[in-house]
Amino acid sequence: MFEKSLYDLIRGLRNHKGKEKEYINDSIKECRKEIRSNDMDLKSTALMKLTYLEMFGHDMSWASFNVLEVMSSPKYRHKRTGYLAAVQSFRRDTEVLMLAENQLKKDISSPTPTVISLPLGAIPHVINPSMANSVLSDLLPRLTHSHPVIRKKTVATLYRLALVYPETLRPAWPKIKERLQDDNENPSVTAAIVNVVCELGWRRPQDFLPLAPRLFDLLVEGGNNWMAIKLIKLFATLTPVEPRLIKKLLPPLTKIIRETGAMSLLYECINGIIQGGILEAVEGTAEGDEVARLCVGKLRGMMVIEGDANLKYVALLAFDKIVRSHPYLVAQQQDVILECIDDPDISIRMRALDLVVGMVNSENLTAIVGRLMRQLRNAPIASATDGPNNDRVRNTGVVPYAEEDDSDAEESLQPHEQRSDQPPPLPEDYRVSVIRRILDMCSRDTYSNITDFEWYLDVLIQLVRVSPATKAVSAAEEDDIEQTDDIGAGIGRELQNVAVRVKSVRSEAVDTAQSLVFVDKRDQMFPSSGNGGQGVLEYAGWLVGEYAIYLSSPEPVLNSLLHSTSVQLPSRTLAVYLQAIPKVFSSLASNDQISWTPERQTLMSLLMARIIHFLEPLSTHPSLEVQERAVEYLELMRLAAEAATGTATGSEHGDFTDPPLLLTQALPALFTAAELNPVARGAQHKVPVPEDLDLDTPINPNLQFLLSQAELEGFETDEDDVYAAYIEPTGSYTETGGQVSVSAAERLDAPQKETASYQNAAVEEEYLDPDIIARRKAERKERYKDDPFYIDPDADKGSGAVTPLSKIVRENNSNTDIDIDSIPIMDLNLENRGPSPAGNHRTRSPRKVPKRVEIMGDETLGPPDESSNRDDIVSPRHNQSQKAKKGLLQVDSSGLGSLSLDDGDDNNRRKLTRLEVERREAEEAEMRKALAEVERKRLEMQRESERIAVKEEAVVVRKKKKKVRKADIGGEEGEGEGEGAGGADADADADADAAPVKKKKKKKVGPEGETEGDDTAAKKKKKKKRRVVGLNGGNE
Amino acid sequence: MINAVLVFNNAGQPRLTKFYTQLETSVQQRLISEIFTLVANRPNSACNFLPLPPLLANSSKSSTPTTPHNDTPSLVTYRHYATLYFIVISTSTESPLALLDLIQVFVQALDGLFENVCELDLIFNFETLHATLGEMIVGGVVVETQLDKVVDGVKAQGTVAKRPVNEGKGGGLNFGGFGRGDGVWTGR
Repeated sequence: MFEKSLYDLIRGLRNHKGKEKEYINDSIKECRKEIRSNDMDLKSTALMKLTYLEMFGHDMSWASFNVLEVMSSPKYRHKRTGYLAAVQSFRRDTEVLMLAENQLKKDISSPTPTVISLPLGAIPHVINPSMANSVLSDLLPRLTHSHPVIRKKTVATLYRLALVYPETLRPAWPKIKERLQDDNENPSVTAAIVNVVCELGWRRPQDFLPLAPRLFDLLVEGGNNWMAIKLIKLFATLTPVEPRLIKKLLPPLTKIIRETGAMSLLYECINGIIQGGILEAVEGTAEGDEVARLCVGKLRGMMVIEGDANLKYVALLAFDKIVRSHPYLVAQQQDVILECIDDPDISIRMRALDLVVGMVNSENLTAIVGRLMRQLRNAPIASATDGPNNDRVRNTGVVPYAEEDDSDAEESLQPHEQRSDQPPPLPEDYRVSVIRRILDMCSRDTYSNITDFEWYLDVLIQLVRVSPATKAVSAAEEDDIEQTDDIGAGIGRELQNVAVRVKSVRSEAVDTAQSLVFVDKRDQMFPSSGNGGQGVLEYAGWLVGEYAIYLSSPEPVLNSLLHSTSVQLPSRTLAVYLQAIPKVFSSLASNDQISWTPERQTLMSLLMARIIHFLEPLSTHPSLEVQERAVEYLELMRLAAEAATGTATGSEHGDFTDPPLLLTQALPALFTAAELNPVARGAQHKVPVPEDLDLDTPINPNLQFLLSQAELEGFETDEDDVYAAYIEPTGSYTETGGQVSVSAAERLDAPQKETASYQNAAVEEEYLDPDIIARRKAERKERYKDDPFYIDPDADKGSGAVTPLSKIVRENNSNTDIDIDSIPIMDLNLENRGPSPAGNHRTRSPRKVPKRVEIMGDETLGPPDESSNRDDIVSPRHNQSQKAKKGLLQVDSSGLGSLSLDDGDDNNRRKLTRLEVERREAEEAEMRKALAEVERKRLEMQRESERIAVKEEAVVVRKKKKKVRKADIGGEEGEGEGEGAGGADADADADADAAPVKKKKKKKVGPEGETEGDDTAAKKKKKKKRRVVGLNGGNE
Repeated sequence: MINAVLVFNNAGQPRLTKFYTQLETSVQQRLISEIFTLVANRPNSACNFLPLPPLLANSSKSSTPTTPHNDTPSLVTYRHYATLYFIVISTSTESPLALLDLIQVFVQALDGLFENVCELDLIFNFETLHATLGEMIVGGVVVETQLDKVVDGVKAQGTVAKRPVNEGKGGGLNFGGFGRGDGVWTGR
């Protein structure tokens, strides 16, 4: 038979270029055969090959039992292969884990150091709580093994044991400590212990304070930079609980900072000083000032040093930690830090970005945001198809294909790190994160840093333009996608927030929203490719609706809302649009000061006809929200339309005729009842429940009857009453009764001169509006007249001072449209509609004087609680979904947090725990005795039953048993497997010297002193089980 | 602590994967490719720290900033030697600069074991590669940083195989024609 070694496999892969998939599948098939062989060499080779392929993602979980077999081979070579396979392939749910336990215990106790190392390295990967307890007793003696390699590995392994089962640390800790305190211990072991203590330390620093003197000595002795780094990290967690350490630590730390040649140690020293709160503690003293100066100076040095990006990166990390406590120290370094925002390296940019968010204040906000905006605008938006490089691996998955370039693979790794040197593209997520940070910075503390909100509105508009495209979602899954992740929505929320909170710029904000909503401006306002920023429409739509009275040109807005493309918007946005439409309409229609002339009547009828035309198809929209709103407003509009046509009109120039009440009163009343104010998160909960509120009694006990009656009677009669109530303005109410609602399409077809009047109306609106437009423009011009960055597209006519910059831009402008990218700053004039008639200038305070802007805070009841923090302004989206996702790659050490390790000097609680431990130990000892007894009995019975049931009946059981035997794994496990899962299994796995958790828990539940009873109960249970098996055998 | 150590080549093919927590094979592969995507686009001058790959970035957001440390992997450190990338994923209890040195020690140890180590050595002796790592890191905790001790520890486990003779330097195998392994992947 042809056998392949790992070498052959790899060679084979190279020779089957292009057909690797088949080759691998064939190889795995071969391995499946080979691994069943009795020849251990063949078995282990097959396993090795499988392990190699596992690295490329080929499942080998089916071979876990064979892994166990190879692990139990007496040959070290095989063992090593087996252990490696176990480490690489065993997962939490691997079933044979239970069986591996004995093998692990056996190998830990081996006399050969190299063999001991194998389980020591493997246990951290495969351990589970029940195993931890049982393996512990074998591990502890290894702490005093003559070989330092074994000792240091044992320490690390014990740490991982404690992670899965914290109780194991209790017996292990004193021994580990003993090793640490031993001056003659091998330095490698000491270093390993320090590493472990450093991992343990941050969970419960107070428990490790007694070690401080020893740790301090180790730090001062020096010699090992690796260990010194860890020691400093450890001390940084200890100093907050023991401030006296600070005085002691400061001299050696400053000494290291001054003297060490190792950058890593220097950095960690500074980091330790920052993180340990040493900077705060010594603040104000001469010494403290010096330390602060030293640290910041060194960090600055790291940033400035040419060419070492790593130092720059870590320095930023350190600054990020200082900035929270000492913002002024960081602010001094603003120049170098801001430099990093534009660093070509994304990692550094990200760090710098994190940092500037922390250092922003009202003075530098504009500058920082400006820098970031420039960055966003200058890099083109990558479309989804742009990055084949980025996606290639994701799409194909990794296949161990032939090594096509051997010359490469042979290149020596030694000389130096090698790096490619193309500049990185601006990744999408970076772009998103920049936009988020900008929003974050600006909205910080309810906009306390913003002095000029109109500037902020412009920034928001600009941000929409540079938003990256969001992934296209099909209509079906659209609702499932968390739309809040869309960056456009983030910008929209800001726009909404500003409009709601800052009354003084509300009209500007609404103007902005209006410009976003305009369909014909969409090319200008949004990124030219992709659907970036569209999420903002949801909020813009809300704004134009809610604040319709601020709209400068409501009718075009309504047109845009009703535009046929609106139907294709995401359903959430569409739902908001539906809500906005009647609001805008009502602002157009509700004026009761204007006489109800025929012209007005036709205009209104036409508008309503268009709305109805728009709403009708939506009444069958797949999204329920859209459907419901569409149906509701459809009915309302029909009602209103009838009222409008039914109300007699006055003559053009004659007396005042009242418009229908439905338009002037009922419709507005739906939307203008109370102003919306920001409400703090959680405030709703604080609203006291009225005492007399009774939600249990039915409102109308006769409901059923009423409903059935209503069904019988139909709607006609009631409806008429309602109609009458709304429609009758002056008593002249005509022929509503028989009228059937006409379809919107029909109405549009009607040969009237509506189209013309619609056009007229639009022009009129435009005509009315310019004074508002002009005023705004003029204000701007006035305010920005000595701002070199202000660009005025029609500066020739205007009165603004002509700056060099504006001149350049204007020249550009005369030829083409505004070329946004050529404008050197982000402050754009986004108003570009209509001519600007001179005059109508209104003077306003020039920009120089920062306006006192009143910003509304959240409304709440009682004292603000934590949940009402301002973090909901930008992104309320973390927490829920991600918390569930937490675990990737993460080792959960939270169990250690509740485990107290201190020496029990005088602590009452501690004594209690000690008592507890003693009691538990006593219990465990008893349990062990009992279990040993049970085990003995069980084995006896097993032998007996085996003798009885040898023959045909227990085939399955026996087969399995046999296999296990061959694997040389204790008989009782084999039995356990043979029996299948059951309560007895836990007992079966019990070892002579440690009780399993399961059993112990059971034990704890029972009252004290029941051990004896429990014991016998267990025995009985065993017997019963046995008997059942025996019975089965007998029957069959 | 250290959460994972990865080695892959310029084309993103893994040469060593070691996760110190149990992770689904498919998730492992996804993580590798995410990190490869990040690392492959790094320019010359860039630093050796990666932003968190999306898989990890999601989980780290929920971490509370109140404690200086936590269990979430927050640091991805890499070094690039010739055709290979060496990646270490760790929590904040590790020192970033020290991790760079650790990778250096790892590579030096391999060089000591194989004499002028190259990617081929690691492909054919991936067991030795694991053994070397096992001497340095146990269960995510660094247990040895001294070069000679690491090398001795591996040697104690048995002789280290040399690369097969017919795979020698400038050897007869000539699959040439591809530079750097770039264009190859685009067609796949």
